[in-house]
Amino acid sequence: MNSVIGIGILISYVVILIAIGAYGARITLKTREDYFLAGRGLGSIAIFMALFASNITAFTIIGHAGLAYQVGYGAYGYVIGWSIFITPFTYYLVGYRSWLLGKRYGYATQPQVFGGIFNSRLIGLVFTVLLLYYTLPYLVVSIIGGSLAFTTISEGAVPYWLASMVIIGISLVYTIPAGMRGTVWTDIFQGTIFLVVAMLLLFAVARSLGGFSEITGRIIESNPAMLQRNLSPAIAPVNWFSFTFTNSIAVIVFPQMYTRILAARSSRNLKRVSLYYPLALAGIFGVSTLLGVWGSVAVPGLVGKDADYIVPMLIQQYLTPAWTILGLVVILAIVKSSIDSQLLSVSHIVIDDLLPWFRRVSTGQAVIWGRMLLVVFAAIAYYVALVRPAAILNIAAFAFSGFSVMLPVMIGALYWPRATRQGAFAALIIPAVMLHLWYLGVLPASTTFGFMPVFPAFMLAIVILIVVSYLTPAPSPEQKEKTFGLFEKVFK
Amino acid sequence: MIMKFKARLALVSLVVLIMFLLHNSFWLWGLDDKIPLLFGFMPFAFSYYVGYAVLSVLAMKLVIDLAWPDPTKEVVESFTDGERSV
Repeated sequence: MNSVIGIGILISYVVILIAIGAYGARITLKTREDYFLAGRGLGSIAIFMALFASNITAFTIIGHAGLAYQVGYGAYGYVIGWSIFITPFTYYLVGYRSWLLGKRYGYATQPQVFGGIFNSRLIGLVFTVLLLYYTLPYLVVSIIGGSLAFTTISEGAVPYWLASMVIIGISLVYTIPAGMRGTVWTDIFQGTIFLVVAMLLLFAVARSLGGFSEITGRIIESNPAMLQRNLSPAIAPVNWFSFTFTNSIAVIVFPQMYTRILAARSSRNLKRVSLYYPLALAGIFGVSTLLGVWGSVAVPGLVGKDADYIVPMLIQQYLTPAWTILGLVVILAIVKSSIDSQLLSVSHIVIDDLLPWFRRVSTGQAVIWGRMLLVVFAAIAYYVALVRPAAILNIAAFAFSGFSVMLPVMIGALYWPRATRQGAFAALIIPAVMLHLWYLGVLPASTTFGFMPVFPAFMLAIVILIVVSYLTPAPSPEQKEKTFGLFEKVFK
Repeated sequence: MIMKFKARLALVSLVVLIMFLLHNSFWLWGLDDKIPLLFGFMPFAFSYYVGYAVLSVLAMKLVIDLAWPDPTKEVVESFTDGERSV
């Protein structure tokens, strides 16, 4: 009976996604602006759920819960603490000014915005290459994480290769026909599902473990170190401080996040998103943290990567089979809502920013090419997710850091009229090279002075941008007027 | 007028600095096993960030009120909202 209900839930879920894709396709115009940016008409709820659902990846319920299992409640502040404030703040700091430029000049991607500010196709190209270089491995890792979780929670009934195929295949079903509109509408649906089900899951697990106070009492009794951050070397202050320069500030640099901000209908929509975003982030990671920590006493003894699957294990061992189906739906929703937007944004960047180097692309052709590229990138991502080459996984390991060290140039471009294209070029390339040298072990760890490599690389980007900009000729008054003339009319 | 906005931007920077310090508040870690559980299940390392989330909403409200003006009518009328030629 349970399996019949479960299969019914899964089929209903997929049918709803297909229906959303089909309806989105009917009203999506065959123009670049409409397909890739939903006509720049996203309202508050759409933009909120689109950003939130893309922001939440398999890491939230897999890697983060695993960390909480191992280090305790401190994982909450370590991973998401600074993000709670700074991620929505960057929607203001970088997002709003970029949105203004996008509305004024029709920019649709980071290469266009920053290439436009510096009046430099080369800067646009550097952004294009770096964003693709970091996003593609990150996309593959999202698929790998989601597929492994899917396989674990289905107790092997769905093999890894099939899980990857299902995740990618369903994403394409609505993304190919409806573009950004398809991904955003499904994000509203999927984001609601995983917020609601995650909360229900928390209460269901708490109930089966004897209640919130009971399980907390068991943790205090058996492993009081879980309450004390000072006792966890993994989140020692130097790591904690360094980490504030990694995932939290990288979010606005992700092309799938940045582009969605450009697609907002109005300034008021962005304000509402920024205002309430902290609560949503704190809520979903709070659930994940609690489940991870509770798991340390409910399913003890997991070591290393095994701890990552604590949430699927809790569901299997403590809840009824119906919850397993809901768990599968949540995994699908979380993973797909990230990878569909990643797939769309890499296709968008290739169409808008790479292809024009070789040939002119009309607006109608852009949509056709975009749809074909979605399939091509999905096929490549699927193949790589099956093979799992070490080189790709190594890049993904520091992709967040790579995105983070691009932020000083983005902020400099939007706030400092004296920033030059030469300064921006050097500040994008040199820190990226240094990150590679540190992460690949070419430079000794001692050269980061005990910090994670992202911190010195971030500081290096700031210094290089300032020094090289002052050493090179200032931008022309016309170039400055184009960007800062607009800002002066708004920020009075 | 521009100076006035710069002054407001300076206040926003101060808000960011305060939030940064509150996040990297290592001197409070010693309280982790001394502060009572909130609602009977949230230790200080966890409840601190529940409070931080509420404070973040207030901080964002302050940022919006201080330094996030909507575009003027003149600016809105200058928006192309159209296709960029590539």
